[in-house]
Amino acid sequence: MNLTINNRTIQIEKAVTVLEAAEKNDIYIPKMCAHPELTPYGGCRLCIVEIDGRRGYPTACTTMAEEGMTVRTDTKILREMRENLLQLILSEHPSACLLCEDIDGCKEFQSTIRKVGITTGCRWCPKDRDCELQKIVESFNIHQLTLPGLYRDLPIEKYDPFFDRDYNLCIYCGRCVRICSEYRKSSVLALKQRGKQTTIGPAFTDNHTDAGCEYCGACVSVCPTGAMSEKSRKWWGVPESYVQSVCPLCSLNCEIQVLTAKNKIVGTLPPGLPHESAGDLCVKGRFCLSELVNRTERILEPIYLFPEGNGIVVWDQAIDKAELILSNIQTERTAVFLSPDLSTEEYEAVRLFSEKVLKTSEITSSCFDSNLIAFSRMAMKSASIETVKDAGVILSFFLNGNYNYGPLTLAIKTASDNGVPYYQTGWIKDTTSRFARHRFVPVPGEEVSILDEILKCLKDGKTNKPEILELSDYLIKAGKGIIVAGPEMMSLSNCQLLLEKIETLAIITKSQIFMPLPYGNLKGMLSVIQLKPFEDVLNKVEKGKFDLLYFIGDAPFSSRPEVKYILYQNSFPAPEGLNPDLVLPAALWGETGGTWAGSNGHSQPVVAAALPHNYALSHQEILIKLAEKMQNKEFVTDAKNLISGSLKAKKPMLPALKEVQKITVPSKPDPDFPYVLVEEISPHRYHNLNLSKGISGFGELVRTDQLMMNPSDARKLKIKDGDSVEVVNKKIIKTLPVTIRKNITEGFIHLNTSNGMRGFDCNPCYVDIRRVHV
Amino acid sequence: MKKAETSFSELLQSFPPEEGSIIPLLQNAQARLGYIPEEAVEVIADYLKLTESQIFGVASFYSQFRFTEPGRHSISVCLGTACHVNGGATLLETTERELNVKPGECTADKRFDLNRVACLGCCALAPVVKIDGEIHSKVNVINLKEMWNHYD
Repeated sequence: MNLTINNRTIQIEKAVTVLEAAEKNDIYIPKMCAHPELTPYGGCRLCIVEIDGRRGYPTACTTMAEEGMTVRTDTKILREMRENLLQLILSEHPSACLLCEDIDGCKEFQSTIRKVGITTGCRWCPKDRDCELQKIVESFNIHQLTLPGLYRDLPIEKYDPFFDRDYNLCIYCGRCVRICSEYRKSSVLALKQRGKQTTIGPAFTDNHTDAGCEYCGACVSVCPTGAMSEKSRKWWGVPESYVQSVCPLCSLNCEIQVLTAKNKIVGTLPPGLPHESAGDLCVKGRFCLSELVNRTERILEPIYLFPEGNGIVVWDQAIDKAELILSNIQTERTAVFLSPDLSTEEYEAVRLFSEKVLKTSEITSSCFDSNLIAFSRMAMKSASIETVKDAGVILSFFLNGNYNYGPLTLAIKTASDNGVPYYQTGWIKDTTSRFARHRFVPVPGEEVSILDEILKCLKDGKTNKPEILELSDYLIKAGKGIIVAGPEMMSLSNCQLLLEKIETLAIITKSQIFMPLPYGNLKGMLSVIQLKPFEDVLNKVEKGKFDLLYFIGDAPFSSRPEVKYILYQNSFPAPEGLNPDLVLPAALWGETGGTWAGSNGHSQPVVAAALPHNYALSHQEILIKLAEKMQNKEFVTDAKNLISGSLKAKKPMLPALKEVQKITVPSKPDPDFPYVLVEEISPHRYHNLNLSKGISGFGELVRTDQLMMNPSDARKLKIKDGDSVEVVNKKIIKTLPVTIRKNITEGFIHLNTSNGMRGFDCNPCYVDIRRVHV
Repeated sequence: MKKAETSFSELLQSFPPEEGSIIPLLQNAQARLGYIPEEAVEVIADYLKLTESQIFGVASFYSQFRFTEPGRHSISVCLGTACHVNGGATLLETTERELNVKPGECTADKRFDLNRVACLGCCALAPVVKIDGEIHSKVNVINLKEMWNHYD
């Protein structure tokens, strides 16, 4: 197809809009509301063009290019009209800075006193120099407002975590609303009211969390003005570099770009153009990483436990002290604890160090319990995200994916939107629930019964539940079935039984399994190191089989166990009671290069985006320093040869599954204990840090050690948000605060436990809720 | 919640679960309850598999939907051109102050709700105030206060 734009004949292949055709051929048409991920909207009208034979001035973003079309994009009348349109936009957008007569001097020398508040703009706009409106105005030579200004005086919304909203700066291009519904399929944001009263936000005065916001940040990315801004990146200005990397916070290892300024990691974004890419990230990859790296509570320098107490030492002194400790330790008298989110090279270095220097095979990780071993067995065969998008039918178990696994939930929602039947099993409503044909709510203690019913129906075609019949039918006929199992399952007493049945179902129906894990590089760790089950190592610690505990990123003890020495190599401080003999500050993700085993099977090497924090060194460097001091040349040469990407992918090594002690979960409700308590050992962690504890915004979303209940249950019990209540079963009483959440199923109470230990004897269990009388 | 749900379940079933049913469902909800409470939006969103934001976005676009509970009696003060010239604004202000109520809202004792309207079509009688469908003509501040006494 041929068309002429500005006297230039251009050729296009497929049906595109005039705007797309022009952009592909480097012809500039100003635009504000058009976005490559979104359907044309025609809201800002800045992209008006002249087309021969068309009445008026059609918008280029909503007009399809046609054979023989003659388009002009830059005529005197178009420029005038665009200027008028911009004047209209600016009449409601604080624009003191855009039109200031000192603008040139200010850019260079900051000559103007910065006394102008946020209400009128000036340099206080968080998007200054990174604002699309600013760029367009500058290209238009506007120096005066021709219309009276209107300041809408809307309250600035700062109460939700991670991003602030100042809709006084909003120009109503609708990109946030559209990206939320069209691309992320969340539809949390809506244009409310109309005309001058229009506002953007969730229904009524709901906060974003209650409206189901996943905090994926797509709206913030695509906002062309400063109306939406990241809290943590607000005053960093335009990032200096964008470094390609992968997210270390779960097994999906999403590709991200790391934003740096002044040699610091200031934020993360999905790949692509910073203002255009909505991305598939979840809140952890989008907002939490930079906050983790920039935490104020990081270990800044080596610390040695002198007889008089803790004291800061320099690296050389620390290495001397470490040598003293290590030279006292005999073979197999050391236990190494690793966190599941280091790079594969770091694991290989630890393996070599354990073999050649520490001379021990006792390496474990606190996450590596029997349920995880059973779960990993299947998770290592997990399908790719592409197969989920392309599925014939999707069935999920305990997914709970609001603040997790962004690409997975998005793939499920997109597939379901395209007509793929989706069935959900679980107790929490998440972002995918709205797309489910049916949501199975399992009977507590009998979670497997749904799988039994499906298996029975597949066998003899009989069931009294139409939805099970429908699902079985799809599983057999549609083919390409995907069974998603969420790691919330690992906290359930019946976990291993459930996993067995899921595997059977997958084999019978020839379905693939997708199992995300909340650990960044478990696969890399298992492919390099033969890990011992955590319980076994813990037993040996209790029996005094070790003289040295070496914690690398992991710290599963809250108080010091009976042991001669403790070495603590981490980025975040040790738990208060641990009292390590020597603390070595280590660099975090983003400060070192390395390889991460992505879930799709191929490993992803990344480079460092910033320098290590203060005196921190990478784990590899620390181990090399130690080995050099101990004159173990073999390790030093091997470790120095470990460069990013040098390791060949290997099969993960998993220990044999042990017969677990069966815990019977009562399946009949007890009239004295009418509520079902579902306890989840909080899986959101990075090194030894629980994300809910370490990042206040994340803690607001995933509340740990709080009872989450449905508003109607709370009304029945006359409980308000934040009240403390007693939760009681036959053996245990605990007093905990309450959070009211709409996504909890009635009759259920959810508890995220942060200390890694289940508080109640079985999960789920029947409990009663009693108000605490003050 | 429960009340809205039971009175709703039949109503919901009579419309297909598709986007086109939003407005008729909202209209029916308002006809039954007199306004659109948050619970109704929740139930409709659940049935149509949309989000509450989507439903509210549509509902709040149209001025025919109200989101606050109506009072036992409804006062509409006309602010059309003729009424405005003859002191409609003063009547509205007086009503707001004396009954302690804002346009679109309802008094604490649920006795009156207050609305402002653009024209009631009887400009010759300006200024006019409508209470429960009854037009009061040539109103002034004194007989305005008296006329409230006839409604409780």
